[in-house]
This record gives sequence, C-alpha cells and structure tokens, in this order.
Amino acid sequence: MRTVDPAPRLAGAEIVASGWGWRHADRTKPAVSGLDLRVAPGERVLVVGPSGAGKSTLLHALAGVIHEDDEESESAGSLTVDGVPAHELKGATGLMQQDPETQVVQSTVGDDVAFGCENHAVPREQIPARVAGALDAVGLDVGLDASTSALSGGQKQRLALAGLLAMAPKVLLLDEPTANLDPDGVGEVRDAVVRVLDSTGATAVIVEHRLAAWAPHVDRVLVLEPGGGIVAAGTPGELFAPGPVRERLIAAGVWVPGYVPELPAVPASHRASADRTTAARLSALDLAVGRGNPKKNGIPALTGIGLDLTAGRAICVTGPNGAGKSTLALTLGGLLPEFGGELSFAEGTDGEPARPYAWRAGELVSRIGSVFQEPEHQFVAQTVREELEYGQRHARGTDGRPLLGEARIAARTDELLARLGLADLADANPFTLSGGEKRRLSVAAVLATRPRMLILDEPTFGQDANTWRELAVLLRAEREAGTAIVAVTHDEHFAHAIGAEQIDVRDLGDGVVAAGDRGAAQPSRLSLEPGRRAAASFLGRANPLAKLAAVALATTPVVVSLDFVSASVVVAATLAMLPLSGVRIRDFLVRAWPLLVAGLFAAWGTTLVGRTSGAMLIDTGPVTISTGSLEAGIATGVRIFAVALPAVLVIASTNPTDLANGLAQKLRLPHRFVLGALAAMRLVGLLAEEWQVLSMARRARGVGSHGSAWQRTRANAGQAFSLIVQAIRRASRLAVSMEAKGFGGPERTWARESVFRPRDAAIVLTGLLVGGAAVAAALAAGTWNVVWTS
Amino acid sequence: MAAPSAILPAKRTWRVVDIVIASVIAVVSGVIFWAWNFSYAGLEFLWVAFPPSSGLVLGMWLFPAVVGGLIIRKPGAALYCEVVAAATEMFMGSQFGMTVLISGLVQGLGAEAAFAAVRYRRFGLPSALLAGFGAALFAAVNALFIVNWYPAYTLPMKFSYMGFCLVSGLVIAGLLSWIATRALARTGALSSVASRGAAREPVGG
Repeated sequence: MRTVDPAPRLAGAEIVASGWGWRHADRTKPAVSGLDLRVAPGERVLVVGPSGAGKSTLLHALAGVIHEDDEESESAGSLTVDGVPAHELKGATGLMQQDPETQVVQSTVGDDVAFGCENHAVPREQIPARVAGALDAVGLDVGLDASTSALSGGQKQRLALAGLLAMAPKVLLLDEPTANLDPDGVGEVRDAVVRVLDSTGATAVIVEHRLAAWAPHVDRVLVLEPGGGIVAAGTPGELFAPGPVRERLIAAGVWVPGYVPELPAVPASHRASADRTTAARLSALDLAVGRGNPKKNGIPALTGIGLDLTAGRAICVTGPNGAGKSTLALTLGGLLPEFGGELSFAEGTDGEPARPYAWRAGELVSRIGSVFQEPEHQFVAQTVREELEYGQRHARGTDGRPLLGEARIAARTDELLARLGLADLADANPFTLSGGEKRRLSVAAVLATRPRMLILDEPTFGQDANTWRELAVLLRAEREAGTAIVAVTHDEHFAHAIGAEQIDVRDLGDGVVAAGDRGAAQPSRLSLEPGRRAAASFLGRANPLAKLAAVALATTPVVVSLDFVSASVVVAATLAMLPLSGVRIRDFLVRAWPLLVAGLFAAWGTTLVGRTSGAMLIDTGPVTISTGSLEAGIATGVRIFAVALPAVLVIASTNPTDLANGLAQKLRLPHRFVLGALAAMRLVGLLAEEWQVLSMARRARGVGSHGSAWQRTRANAGQAFSLIVQAIRRASRLAVSMEAKGFGGPERTWARESVFRPRDAAIVLTGLLVGGAAVAAALAAGTWNVVWTS
Repeated sequence: MAAPSAILPAKRTWRVVDIVIASVIAVVSGVIFWAWNFSYAGLEFLWVAFPPSSGLVLGMWLFPAVVGGLIIRKPGAALYCEVVAAATEMFMGSQFGMTVLISGLVQGLGAEAAFAAVRYRRFGLPSALLAGFGAALFAAVNALFIVNWYPAYTLPMKFSYMGFCLVSGLVIAGLLSWIATRALARTGALSSVASRGAAREPVGG
C-alpha cells in the first residue's frame, strides 16, 4: 500500500509490463497474454486495437480493480507502476470509464469529488482545498451542492476526472472516456483531460475507438491484438499514415483519423426485392412534441412541425442536445402521445388515416419500427432466433388477427440471420452478444416485421467502423426497397451513406424551446432526496439518527398496544410536527395515501373477523359486525396510521447521504456496506427513467400493455427482468469506479462529519414525550391493550 | 463430462463488486416493494372473504433475501439484501413505517439461516426453496406473534395464515427466485460474481 502524495503538482509514474497476461474467471482464453510494455513517466499513449484485444483488461489491471484472488482467474508475468505491482497500489492511478452514469458515486458534486480522497484517508481538513482545486482544473463550475444527476454526460465525465484529480494520481487511465458523448461533449472532455495532463505531468494511457479527437495529443500509439500483445508502436503520424498498420486497423474496425468506410455498390437484386403494393405515408401537421402533459402546464420541446414521410424517403435529423430530437423520434414512432397538432399514418392513396399512438403494440410493429439507442432495451426474448421471431408472431392486423403465418416467419427469420451474419449465433442469448452484434440484432429485430417507416435514434453511436458499414448497407437497402427512414444522428457520413437528406431539428418546426426555459416542465427524476424546502427545514437539518430514534420512541407504544387512544395521540402529534419538516401537505399526502387504503382495508378485515361482542350491528349469516368488532377494526386502522405516519414525516425530510454518514460514523456500521447501499440508492432515479424508456422500447417490439391480467403480468415481469439486467450491469461498472477510487480499504476519512447538536436532543426528547403521552392517555382512558395478551 | 458442480467463491469475505451488486439488487427490490405496496393495497379486496389468505402474496416481500443469497453466495448476503430492500422501501414511503426494518431483519434472518444450514455450499433449487421457506416462517411468526399485525385472528386463522405464507415463500420467494437467478446468469450479467455459472449447474445445486 502506498500513500498518496499530497503535492498538487506531480510527476508521472513509469509503467512496465513484462510477459504480463490475464484470464478472466468466466473465460477459457486469456484476455491478454505475453504483454511487454514500457510507458515512460509523463508519457501519453493511446492504445488501439480490435474489440477483444484486452485493452480494458489492461486498464483495469493498472487501476488495481482486478485481483489475483478472484475465483478462477489467472495472471502471468508482472505489471508494475513505479516498480510496485499494480494490484498492490492504491491511489497512484485513476481510472475513467465510458458510461457517465456509473462514474458518479455520490449525489452532490462536492461529495462525489471528495469520495476518492476519503477512501485514501486524506485528512478531513485537506479535502475541501483538493475538491475546489480539482473542480477548477476541469472547469466544472456548478457549485458543490449541485445534484450530480442533473449534469450532462460531458459534465459527468469532467466530474469523474475531477474526482480522480483530487486523489492526485500519477497515472490517468482513460477507458473510452468519450465514447458515450456527442461531438460537443467529446471536445469538452478531451480538452479538460489535456489541460489536466499538461498541469500535472501525469502519465496517461488512453483507450479509444474514435481516434481523431485524441491523436494530436498523444506521444505514442500502441496497437494491441487479441492474444498477440503489442504488434505495432509509434507516433500517431507514423502509424496512421497510409500503410500496412493503417490497413490492419481499418480491417479491425478502428476509426483511424480521416477514415470513412466506403459502401459497396447497390446490388440490383435489392432494388427488385421491394414487395410494396401500397405506398404508406406518415404525415405530421403542425405537430408539437414534448414529454410533459399539455393539460398540466407542460411546455413542448418543439412546435409547428410539418413533415411528410413517403416510401423511400430518408431524413437525418441533426441539432443540438436538448432540442427535442429524441422526443420527436418517439412521437413519430407512436410511442409518445402528440403534445399538440396531428400525426397520421395512411396506407395507399385512399387509406383511412390512423393515429399511431392509439394503435396496440401488435398493430404498430408492422407499420412503424423504432430502433432505440441502447440495443439491450429492446431485447425481449431468450435467443437471437426468438428475438427475430417475436415481433412477427405478435404483429396484428387492424382486425386483431395475426398478420404472418409460421412459414413466412421462419423464412424471414432465416433470411435476416444470414444477411446479418448472425446464423451461428441463432441460439445465443441476445444479452451475451458483442456490442456490434447487439446493434445489428436490434435493428434486424425491428426490420423483421417489415415496417413501412423506420425511426432510429443515434444508430451509429459508439459503434466500430465495421458495424457502422454493415448498418449503412442494411439501411440503404431498406430505403431502396421502399421503407421511409428517420434517423436522429450527429453522423453526417452516415446520412450521406444511406442517401438521406439532413435536416436541422430547428428548421423542422417553428423553433425550439430552450431546455432551460422548459426546466420546470421537465419530469423530475424520482429521487430519494428531500426537496429543497424540506432539506432546509428544522427537521431537514437535524441528524437522521436522532430523528429515527424519535420515531422509534414515539411508535413503540402503538406497536405494543392495539388501541384507538394511543394511536390517535401519535397520529395527532405527527400531524402537528408537519410544519417543522418543511413538507407540503400535498407532498405528504402523495407519500401517505397508500396508508389510507391499507388502514381502511385492515379496519374492514378486522371488523369482519373480530370476535363478536357488544351489540350486533349487522348479522347476515357469515357476515357479522358488532360494536366490539367495529371498535377493534377502527383501532387496527388508526394503529397502521400511527406506525407509518411518523416515519413518512421523518423520511420526507431526510437525505440518504446524511443517514449513511450517521450510520457509519456514529453507529460504526461497516462503511463499505453503508456506502455501497447509498451508491445503489443513487441509481433509483436512473432506474425509474429506464423503466419508462423500457416501456416504449418494448412497445416498439410488439410487447403490449393491453390484454388480460395474465398477459399484463407477463409483460411487466419481462420488463422488470430487463431492468434488473441493466441494473446489475450498472452495478458491476459502478463497483469498478468505486474500487478504482480506492473504495473498500479498511481506513477512511469523512469530508462531512456527522454531528449531534442540541436540536437533536430536543427531537429525541419530543419522540419520548409523544410515546409517553400515548401510553398515559391510553391508560387514563382505560383502552391500553397489549397485543400479545389479546 | 460430469455436470459442473456449484462454483463457490474463493473467499468468504465480500469484495467491492459483491457489495455493490448486492446493494443494487436490494435497492431495485425495494423499489419493487414500493410499487407492489400500491398493488397490494388494490388487492386487499381479494382477501376480504377470508383475510388470512393474504399470506399467499407474502413471498413478494421475501424474494430479495433469496435472490441475494443465490447470486452473491456469501454469508450475510440474504440478510443484507432484505434489510437494504426494506430500508429503500421505507425511504420511498411505506405503509409499514419503520417496522419494515424489523420485518426485513427477521425475514432476512430466516433466509440466511437456510443458506447457513447448507453451509453456503449449495445454491440449487432445494436451497432456494429452503431459503424461501425459512424467510416465510420467520416472517409469519413475526407478523402473528411478535409485531402481532393480526390480533383479531383466532388461533386456527393464525395457523392458516402461516400455511398460506409458507406456500407463498416456497413458490414466490423460493422457486421464482431460483428461476430468475438462472435467467440472469444466462444474460451474462452475473459474470463478476460467484453465480455466473448458475444456469449450467444441476437443479440440485
């Protein structure tokens, strides 16, 4: 273990690999073998090569996040940083990965940058200066209290860079840091990285697929081949000049600077294969798109859109982020309702115009196909073959009858498998395919039902040049065959390759409402954090442990006793405290309404089954209600309120981060588990958003939200399964980010101290008094009724 | 070649990836609880005729313990997942207030006891069923005799409630969790934890 050098300006470290190799636990072949390498202190190297060459494995090993003690994994040779084996160092290297969402660990900017320092046990008093310096260096000026979930992709990556910088690493490891960003984000993050390297002199190892942005800023390029170690090394100028190395990289699908894949000439057979008997038309008339609700003061992202999509027309929609391009794509795809205006689909010249959003999923899939940016969102089956068959099986005509027979389904599926080179993978689970295979499958699965319109959102994002070319060939053929295509993309070359016109989204309608002005109308992320008002309230600023202790003290009597009086005292006291929590009555009711239902039903159940006593009120054979059972029922219902409402009140004003700090610092619960749970809770908002995306992505595949209770349950279970797969994948990446920032060690400091103040004592005392008053009142009224004796 | 036997972690101690994956499973489960609480409130009418039959859906609150144990395969996983799921549910707002923490603790202990009984060595269907059964048993005893949510029930009603709970624990928390774990393993999502090969293991573990 090495300590972190607190000096702000550092020299870089030397990296040496000799005969190094690594095999992952779940693989039979090593990811890397026989690697010999030396990177000089302060050198910047770009590592390129085909997927599967072990580039990420090398970076993970240098970051110390893969361990020899992993079950069944194997290593060979040595890999050292400044002479120390990579798996033994902590804090000398910083790793940045491609998915911005899993780079962020904490919920506020300040906490997130401090996270690495805390893990390396940097003394608390030094942390604020490091955090401020790091944020300054990456040019992120949003305030320490800003929510990390509100940042853009580029900002999140710069935040991640700041978090690494605060740890003062000697080596920066960048694993496709800009692969998930749009062109503006790429420049923004690249510039921040270069600035940081210039000022710190740290060594850098960068893995990227799109090389143009990075090539001018690196000293050396290393070409890594699967199982072959480094096969070529040199300056960017040498390696990327026309020659065998460049050809080899192009063959491997690497985006060498200046390379645009060329498409083969259109084969005549594809033109002939068009089997369109009637032309279809999708028309937008003064269409407005937006995700808000027009009836609830929602503001559209884009208005006044006029568009006529006819057979064989292809459009690429470009424009800045937040301009509503994706919202437009979802609306055209019949997945989001029109915000205003009209969208209609008609077949043939005299076809009845229909509204795509009103169709059932089965009717949608054979008319309009939507391809989402993330292929996994649209996977609905267990094998590649079933994936291609699914939409065809579920395609329905307007009469609700299946559209395609088994023979046609089998023929179409075989044709697509062959055309996309997926025949050998027909029985593989779609989730286990490579990135490029997933992309091809998700497009093919939508094309399987032969939709007349195809809507794609950033289809080429993050793809290598080979997949890019295959996609372009496929879509060009579809267009030639008469399918209309709308693609949202920043990729000009792609638009050109498929023969599409490029239209800026701002020219498509009346104008774009700036994202900032839309702010309030944007659906807020589901969050476990309290609102601004609640956080600033008396209870919001108290120590969560004190609040929980108070709730425990106040509710213990009502858990012990089943009676109307003690429960009523607790409910009344809770409602009286509402102003102290800063929680609005409306928000409180939103959180509490299921309680009302539960309380009422429990009351009813008890009334029905309670022992008969007192006067008989209703007696109809099996159903008997007496005054005694009615009293018991009411007591049961109020008891449920009394148990639940105090917790609702306290939780509504409690920040999970403060609770975690309290649990780990004051109660001494194991910090690894407390912080692990906290990091996972930050993903809740993300998962809620993903749930909505999944609903639309699966509708586009023919998964209906209509049908019988059993069908709906199945559809929901399938969607929940997809969500869990995404969540576990995210968790694996998040674990890498956290461990790369030194998380998991025995020692840790805390940037924010959990403290008890006088107000916390007052809160605990209040809880005790409420509990005491409840007991006293019940005893005085003679209703005290210990549940274990009844 | 003989069927591969269960993969066991090299060490009993938790790695960072174990902690984070367990946490995320638990938090997702907590959100499912929260959503389920609304559905549960809507289902109340089903039990009106014979209230103890509500035990039939108890397994919905127990699955995180079993799934967590089956996926992570380390001591404490079942307990940790159930407690964190309960805490998440509490944070999102639950009709059970802070008592969910106690319920989570008790239910998690029930499943944990089952995994401990097989010494954290077998993670097939029998272990899953046992864990679902254990969680349901602990949960029913807690609901009937400790927290006593149903003081109005007569003793026969209490025992029928327990019977419904155990069936639910076996089917929803045990069987369905085992099926879900194998399905997850098939997607490759579990490649960094010990259950990565769950789909290829024999049913008996």
